Amino acid sequence: MSSLLEKNTSRAPASLCVQKANPSRGGVDAAVEITLHIDGKEVTVASGTTILEAARKIGIRIPTLCYHEDLCVAGVCRICVVEIEGRKHLEASCAYPIMAPIAVRTHTRKVRMARRHILDLMLSEHYGECYACFRNNNCELQALAQEYGVDFFRFGHPEKPRYKVDRSSHSVIRDMDKCILCRRCIRTCIDLQEVGVLEVDNRSCNSKVVTFGDKPLGDVICINCGQCINRCPTGALQANDPTDDVWAAIDDPAKHVVIQTAPSPRAGIGECFGLEPGVPLTFEMNTALKECGFDKVFDTNFAADLTIIEEGTELLLRLHKALVEKDGSTALPQFTSCSPGWVKYLEHFYPEYIPNLSTAKSPQQMFGAVIKTYYAELNNVDPKDIVTVALMPCSAKKFECNRPEMCDSGFKDIDYGLTTRELAQMISEAGIDLPAMPKSDFDDPFGTATGSGVIFGATGGVMEAALRSVIELVCGIKVEDLFEHADIIPVRGFEGIRFMELPIAKVGPVPDLLKNLIGDWDWLKGATLKVAVAHGTANAKRVMEDIKAGGRCSECHFIEFMACPGGCLGGGGQPIPTSPAIREARAKAIYAEDAAYEIRKSHENPAITKIYGEFLTDGPCSHSSHKLLHTQYMPRGKYIV
Amino acid sequence: MLVSEREQLRDNLETWIKQYGSNRSALIPVLEEVQRKYGHISEYVMQVVADILDIHPVEVDSVVSFYSFLGHKPKGRFIVRLCRTISCEMQAKARVAQQLENDLGIRFGETTANGNFTLEWANCLGMCDQGPALLVNERIYTHVTPETVHDILEECRSTFGVYAPTSQTVMDVQSTDTSKMTFIGVDGRIGLDRAMEMESKAIIEAIEDSGLKGRGGAGFPTSLKWKLAAEVDDEQKYVVCNADEGEPGTFKDRVILTDFPDLMFEGMTVASRAIGASKGIIYLRGEYTYLRARLEDKLEERRRNGLLGSNVAGVQGFDFDIEIRMGARAYVCGEETALIESLEGQRGEPRNRPPFPVNTGFMGHPTIVNNVETFAWVPCILVKGADWFRKIGTETSTGLKLFSVSGDCREQGVFEFPLGISIRELLEKVGGEDAKAVQVGGAAGHCIPASEFDRAIAFEDLATGGSIIVFGPERDMLEVAQNFMEFFNDESCGQCTPCREGNIRLLEGVEMLGAGQCSMKYLRELCNLGETMQMACKCGLGQSSPNAFLSIIEHFKDEIMGRVSVAC
Repeated sequence: MSSLLEKNTSRAPASLCVQKANPSRGGVDAAVEITLHIDGKEVTVASGTTILEAARKIGIRIPTLCYHEDLCVAGVCRICVVEIEGRKHLEASCAYPIMAPIAVRTHTRKVRMARRHILDLMLSEHYGECYACFRNNNCELQALAQEYGVDFFRFGHPEKPRYKVDRSSHSVIRDMDKCILCRRCIRTCIDLQEVGVLEVDNRSCNSKVVTFGDKPLGDVICINCGQCINRCPTGALQANDPTDDVWAAIDDPAKHVVIQTAPSPRAGIGECFGLEPGVPLTFEMNTALKECGFDKVFDTNFAADLTIIEEGTELLLRLHKALVEKDGSTALPQFTSCSPGWVKYLEHFYPEYIPNLSTAKSPQQMFGAVIKTYYAELNNVDPKDIVTVALMPCSAKKFECNRPEMCDSGFKDIDYGLTTRELAQMISEAGIDLPAMPKSDFDDPFGTATGSGVIFGATGGVMEAALRSVIELVCGIKVEDLFEHADIIPVRGFEGIRFMELPIAKVGPVPDLLKNLIGDWDWLKGATLKVAVAHGTANAKRVMEDIKAGGRCSECHFIEFMACPGGCLGGGGQPIPTSPAIREARAKAIYAEDAAYEIRKSHENPAITKIYGEFLTDGPCSHSSHKLLHTQYMPRGKYIV
Repeated sequence: MLVSEREQLRDNLETWIKQYGSNRSALIPVLEEVQRKYGHISEYVMQVVADILDIHPVEVDSVVSFYSFLGHKPKGRFIVRLCRTISCEMQAKARVAQQLENDLGIRFGETTANGNFTLEWANCLGMCDQGPALLVNERIYTHVTPETVHDILEECRSTFGVYAPTSQTVMDVQSTDTSKMTFIGVDGRIGLDRAMEMESKAIIEAIEDSGLKGRGGAGFPTSLKWKLAAEVDDEQKYVVCNADEGEPGTFKDRVILTDFPDLMFEGMTVASRAIGASKGIIYLRGEYTYLRARLEDKLEERRRNGLLGSNVAGVQGFDFDIEIRMGARAYVCGEETALIESLEGQRGEPRNRPPFPVNTGFMGHPTIVNNVETFAWVPCILVKGADWFRKIGTETSTGLKLFSVSGDCREQGVFEFPLGISIRELLEKVGGEDAKAVQVGGAAGHCIPASEFDRAIAFEDLATGGSIIVFGPERDMLEVAQNFMEFFNDESCGQCTPCREGNIRLLEGVEMLGAGQCSMKYLRELCNLGETMQMACKCGLGQSSPNAFLSIIEHFKDEIMGRVSVAC
């Protein structure tokens, strides 16, 4: 691996991180075990473990706010302070590495007083309109106030909002009146995602989380990934919620309201109804959506399969152009384009690589275009009366459906993007107990989906789906001949950047679907297909820098990028909170669903065969598919005037 | 802006960034250059700088907004900054302020229509013994009166016309009587030479024997700090001199920087020898920019004399050089980890500790940060002997100390006294016998009433970096508390909750007391809050910020409670 891939480009201010002291310099040596006492209980931990981690190990609860498992340690909110015997000052347990056998007390009078004061101070600046807040009952500040028995505002409470709510973005709304300056959003944006939209401005009580030049979020280089929303402890950040409009469309008898549901929300929505992460409610949700009043419920997986065919064909055509036609201008590696956060990231930071982006639209947008043309025709509905709603785990999808170029059907392809959280809210509002719903199937004509579509929700899923089809369509063998149960394990997992090489030992006949485009596969015989997978824009950045430097990534033919850590299952529209364990549980649910499908390869989806047979009759990457299913991008750059 | 100007600006930025090392650590010096040349830091500049340094523009924005000497908005050619800290406040600053507003026709925070003058407040310019003090760009004026305001402004207009001075080194201030100071009789070169003949361990032992503790006020044993850094195995180590003298009422480092810089350089050189460092950095506060050129000259002279550079003082293989880095006005940068953050091109926000800088400091390398005065005493100890130093003062607070004395006393200035001196003795020496209270340790220190004047100024009783502010019988102690709380409310870095939100609540409390609207119950709540801040804030600034409030409330309740509000 080239050195660039290993380079740590994290630029989080050192003050916000527990500095990892080098053991060779006499600092933390994790090999050394230390026995300490917390509230009289003995615990042995590796040197450098924080007090918080040690306490959790033995089941002692210490409240936290600025601490987040996904982020570097800040130690700024001070709610987690504890007393170390013999010390005058209290220490933030999240930021204090244990290097000596100390005795810690987590709830002495001093500690309780300090925590209560800190809470009171936060509340004195937090404009808490709890009833009218989307985080009501899922707010960490509110929960702490309850836990500590806050029954009056010791240091007052804002009577009126002081800031204007920033609603400029299609995806993310910022209400600084609810911000308690824990800086999780900053650490998410700068350190975890390396997008760098948010920082603290000014100092003292005048400090505030701002964008560059304090501009509206819609005017800066935000990629709409919404990771900040998932990590905000309060309601200061939320997705742009269109549920009122969706209800209005449902209530309008003249409108034919269809919803497509993406794979990730199914694996997460149970969390909004008190279930453990990783309990899929796919078919319960179908019933609930009908109860809510949607006319049709479709499976986005159909469009995912369609994406695989279009994007896979595009890749084969690019390879043909480069290898057979020797066209040096062919942009390779080809990048996936289903993650709108990633697409906007590339448009801002690497606009010169736009030619590498697959022109295939994301499944959401393909589906919208198909519904307002093919489906409308089939069912004799006027497309102007169709309202397309997309249930997505994503906040960037809200931006994507509002991109001006996304109206190839002659109408806005997707009218509204809903997050998992918003749909859960609608279901609650309809008085439906989702987990208790009977199961029902998706509606035709797109009812049948494949396991390949489902795994789009996890990082590596698009790549696995594409490989399953490429192996069968090009090599003429079964995926199962190479990978047990067709599970392509090397592209799975949560490693930031993953590589895989697939030698093409033999080739098969060109399937009917692609015969118009390519005569034979002989030119691929003996070649090795090189692919990579990256999730989270920080890793995407590493890949892009490696490509620029001519490293290993530049030799790849196809790279899957997902803007969010973990892929869509960790999207900015998913239930709050998020953590590595939660994302892993959701991934398990997704792969289990894939395994349960009878058909697990996109090209075997009968609905796909049908649409190319009936509607896109000139085949993938042809004139009609280009018109409806492909798009173009905008070099945005990062300079703001 | 013309396209050609924009291109030239980009060229300048590229040159400066290269000059300062092409990494994030270059950020603040580059921004200072921009500020000096262009008067403000535009969005275009921030984006270009971010692009070249491979950081995000919002990070540059965030840094600019943190430091008072950097700004987004265009300002006047002459930035007039009047000190509003307690000692100047006590010397009729208010009338000077009023006259400035009258003569310029603008309010504080505004710029004249012709773009000539911007009027701003400053926090402690380090001229407390000769206030009110005024900084015009980099030039300092002291003993300003309402009458001389006009002359100063006219001088700007006539001398410089529309051109602002870019590197003013003129210093037209009252010099301090240093004739009685130990420093004047010490040839630091002898101390340096002695150290060069000693092993690292022996140097540290000599300092340990002297009992020298940090002269910045925290009182950490200097030898222990050096020892910890010396023990760490790393090729790169740093010696940092904390010349960010920002504590209200402190100006003794200015005197050392002016009159005895060589002692400080020698102390730094000895320290580098002791811990095995090859690089020294002086973090000089932005308000002292007028001292920079002289210090650079002195450093150059030392390089010429073989006292810096390669094979320092003739010792083969001992390389050491010193660089001056300017602060950009943030009090919190006097905290050592905030100072290091600032050197690294970040907002000056204190770090979580441990690890400590001796292990993981500047750029992740072992770093010792010592005060100017601490370094200056090192060669003295080596010349006169550890025993000499140890015999002065008390058992745990050995040696001599410089004190910055200001306020209601006959003799203001810098004085050398042994540690352990009582407040009463000190007041007798400076002519402040009738004081009703003394603030020991600046805004972060404690207010001591006359009944406790027998207490000792020593690390075991009243620790101080040397700031002594004397309050005469007529002073309104609530006004004093208000001044200090306003100071902290401006200077808190804002990262931790108790400091950011606590200080504003305490200030509001002082204002309520002033308006006669604070119940005893609420006052108690505020005092409890003060205790929480002392215990739970992230750094020394927050932990000490309620000290003045708490001690004034404790000792002057009769003066403070139940005021009748004067309707305005």
